Amino acid sequence: MSATTHSAGYSKTGIWSWITTVDHKRIGILYAVSALLFMVIAGIDALLMRTQLAMPNNDIISAETYNGLVTMHGTSMIFLFIMPLSAAFFNYFTPLLIGAPDVAFPRLNALSFWIFLFGGLLLNSSYLVGQVPAVGWFAYANLTLKQYNPTHSVDFWVWGIQILGLASLIAAINFFTTILNMRAPGMTLLKMPIFVWTTLVTQVLLILALPVITVACVMLSFDRAFGTGFFDPGAGGYVLMWEHLFWVFGHPEVYILILPAMGIVSEILATASRKPLFGYTVMVYSSCAIGFLGFAVWAHHMFTVGMGPWANALFSAATMLIAVPTGVKIFNWISTLWGGKIRFTTAALYAISFVAMFTFGGLSGIMHSSPPIDTQHHDSYFVVAHFHYVLYGGAVMALFGGIYYWFPKVTGRMMNETLGKIQFWLYMIGFNVTFFPMHFLGVQGMPRRIYTYAPDQGWNLWNLVCTAGAYLTALGAFLFAINFFWSLWKGKIAGNDPWDGRTLEWSLPSPPLEHNFDVIPTVTHLDEWWHRKYSEDGKRKIMPPAPKFDPSTIHLPNPSFWPIVLAFGILMIGTGFFLPDFGNAIAIGTSVTGALIVLGSGFAWAYEKP
Amino acid sequence: MSDERSSNRFREVNMRRKTGIALSPLMSLLVMMRMWGIGAASWLASGAAWAQKSFDNMPYKLDGGFDNAMTTISGITELSRDINHLYLTTTIIVIGVFFAVAVPLIYTLYRFRAKEGDDTPPKQFHGNAILEFMWTVIPVILLIFIAIPTWKTIFKHDGLAARPNAIKVHVIGHQWWWEFQYPDYGIKTAFELHLPENTPVDLSITSADVSHAFWIPKFGGKTSAINGNINRLSWVTPLAKMPEVAGGDYYQGQCAELCGSSHALMRHVGVVHTKEGFERWVKAHNQAPKVETASQREGEQLFGRCIACHAIEGTPSAAIPGDKIGPNLSSFGSRSHLAAGTRKNNEENLAIWLRNPADLKPGALMPNLGLTEPEIKSLTSYLRQSTYKNY
Repeated sequence: MSATTHSAGYSKTGIWSWITTVDHKRIGILYAVSALLFMVIAGIDALLMRTQLAMPNNDIISAETYNGLVTMHGTSMIFLFIMPLSAAFFNYFTPLLIGAPDVAFPRLNALSFWIFLFGGLLLNSSYLVGQVPAVGWFAYANLTLKQYNPTHSVDFWVWGIQILGLASLIAAINFFTTILNMRAPGMTLLKMPIFVWTTLVTQVLLILALPVITVACVMLSFDRAFGTGFFDPGAGGYVLMWEHLFWVFGHPEVYILILPAMGIVSEILATASRKPLFGYTVMVYSSCAIGFLGFAVWAHHMFTVGMGPWANALFSAATMLIAVPTGVKIFNWISTLWGGKIRFTTAALYAISFVAMFTFGGLSGIMHSSPPIDTQHHDSYFVVAHFHYVLYGGAVMALFGGIYYWFPKVTGRMMNETLGKIQFWLYMIGFNVTFFPMHFLGVQGMPRRIYTYAPDQGWNLWNLVCTAGAYLTALGAFLFAINFFWSLWKGKIAGNDPWDGRTLEWSLPSPPLEHNFDVIPTVTHLDEWWHRKYSEDGKRKIMPPAPKFDPSTIHLPNPSFWPIVLAFGILMIGTGFFLPDFGNAIAIGTSVTGALIVLGSGFAWAYEKP
Repeated sequence: MSDERSSNRFREVNMRRKTGIALSPLMSLLVMMRMWGIGAASWLASGAAWAQKSFDNMPYKLDGGFDNAMTTISGITELSRDINHLYLTTTIIVIGVFFAVAVPLIYTLYRFRAKEGDDTPPKQFHGNAILEFMWTVIPVILLIFIAIPTWKTIFKHDGLAARPNAIKVHVIGHQWWWEFQYPDYGIKTAFELHLPENTPVDLSITSADVSHAFWIPKFGGKTSAINGNINRLSWVTPLAKMPEVAGGDYYQGQCAELCGSSHALMRHVGVVHTKEGFERWVKAHNQAPKVETASQREGEQLFGRCIACHAIEGTPSAAIPGDKIGPNLSSFGSRSHLAAGTRKNNEENLAIWLRNPADLKPGALMPNLGLTEPEIKSLTSYLRQSTYKNY
């Protein structure tokens, strides 16, 4: 590789190269690192909450602080950890899995990341000024109105969500286009890796759901800043409209959180058992069905608000219906393992634990899909147990599995398997010790979002157990960090294909070169890479030598700093809404300056050399 | 040679121009920051204060007195018993499905582990239509076993017309206490929802401020209290457990929708009397307070400071028309707890409350009235003794 590609002349090292990067692989790494750092903050929130709840009438954390922690924990874990870590995988691997040299809109890709980062920093800056939103991660009206929350705490939440939503929407358009337009020749939709399918459905959900929360947040920020009365019954507004708008977004949101994880689990299980994913076509259709039905079940979060028996009954039926494609997936995963030769790598352990834990969480979900039962579960710890089983035991486990699985490809080194297995078991045991007893607490009537409880409610023992589990999990996270950094430095060199993988990314060097594929492959099969390595009867094929190519024919997009500048302009627009305390002129001036920065950098971007 | 040098210079100039363009937003930011300077510093100081406050010793504790009463699986009304029945059916089905997943999974993991040294890939099979059909249809059938009883229970208990012989109660959620109004009896009270045994009750639930949720687990039927909406909830009350004991059976409830800082301290109770006991409660509730001792008379005078927000039946405070923003205190002396179930109703706790309400409830809307200790003593004896009702 003596000649260099077309984008030579720009430095590949140093902070500036990261700030101006438009390489989807670097952006993926930026997302992953940010997500893991935000996870630490949200995890500390959780440890503080659990410490406070370890004993009745505890006095470590005050009521307002606790409500702030519970809000930030939920909001950060969802928007600043699971979504960006999933985005890290979309970014890094979608082009590699479909045989593309890059995403459809590389600078837009960078823009999504910087908008996300600024949104996350805005939300977390609420800690620095002591105005932490304390309204729960779904911020029900009318508690969020200025009348009941006069400080800027809710503004941090609204503008954080607004800006983060914009980042996800832009990224969704990018990946949607990439997947549909940039697949390698011969890769029909039903020859795409399953992870690309779940990514595609996720992007569709994002595109359709995010505008709803955007509208809701505009209404709420206008109620707070300009005294419009969307959610103020005193002004003729309607409180429940927030709940409807939020959950029309919020329910697809949870499928946005889980579908990428399901895709990762599918890839890992197929590779670990050395067999194709069982029922690939059915898995594709199930993912689409889950995405579609996900828009029809939102009011199951509202069974107690008085919608009436018909609404409750119909949403209950739709919620039960969505369990069917989900259950089909579970059995398909078990069948993928059946008849295989399973290698229990750390990644495989995580993927297998997903199957078990997500099943468990899904089953408690079935229980509260019945409105009469839900009148005992809603807003109790039973629901907290349910969603932690599906989000933590489900999505987070799968994402960690994805890290162990793809770390060799990204860094060129293997993660330490011994440390990985210890860390996995700490997580698994810690997670179950933390969240299983919450089912009991829910059955015993402990409501959610209470910072303390009386000593004679029968909740003391299980709360203590939950707290112990939380600390065990934290130990697991700490070990993960150690493994991560140790492996970066001293991990075994991975080579191209350490897992005998099935998909195209394993045909590339570890890490891949900036241009990904020397020659865009022509695809003839699902699991194309496997079919190049093995004939139908399982014998290794002799692979033809890599074809010759002229590196100077590859044009890579030039780096650009307009994405970070434009993202900063968007941050300034939102920041203006916090500044009327310092005078209307400053507030308006900041927002207007931000808008001008957006316009100006947009123009410069458009006229830049591609 | 000269080409190289000029292209180097071109790159230099380009970089300088680019740097200039990059810096201009930075310049406007620096100007803004100078103007923000003092404001930002005070914001950071408030952040530090928040962090400090979080770790101070807070006295916001909840007293006991209800003994394991929030359990959701020992319902005593028809509604909660129907819910329990559905709960049991669903739990059994769900546990069955769990084993239907767990057993094959564990067996598969055991039987198909890779053997040492065996590097050949296994047989590559892709799917099986019959299996797919089976594990699509069987869950649907199981779900029907949950769905049909669910629909039956929903339509049995929800959306019912008002019953003519039912006791009507208006339930109003406030930050952070529950108000109960009995329009047929002209009673307004707080915290304790007194009801006769074996009688239909129709609640109309709403909120005066933010969203709350009314929940007494043993009665069943958690319902949101939304400002601007009226939600209906109906029960038939259970039989009184110990009819010979006056005062009624206490069933704990708690607010189940985050409603601000003291959400955790917003409890309520359902109190079930015999029919005669309930009649006695109704008759006694609105009787004027008995003011006998000098201390109580002083307290009665001091209560004049409270009537902007509170009312006691049989006193001038009740004659002022309109709803009060604080709870009605007509039967305060008979209530088991104060501050919406936060503390037991005794001398010491009431004195703490009167001294500074925010000491018992963060964010309490009742202000510190600046009462002196003798004033607190008098007011306490008036509120606890004079308003005590014997039923």
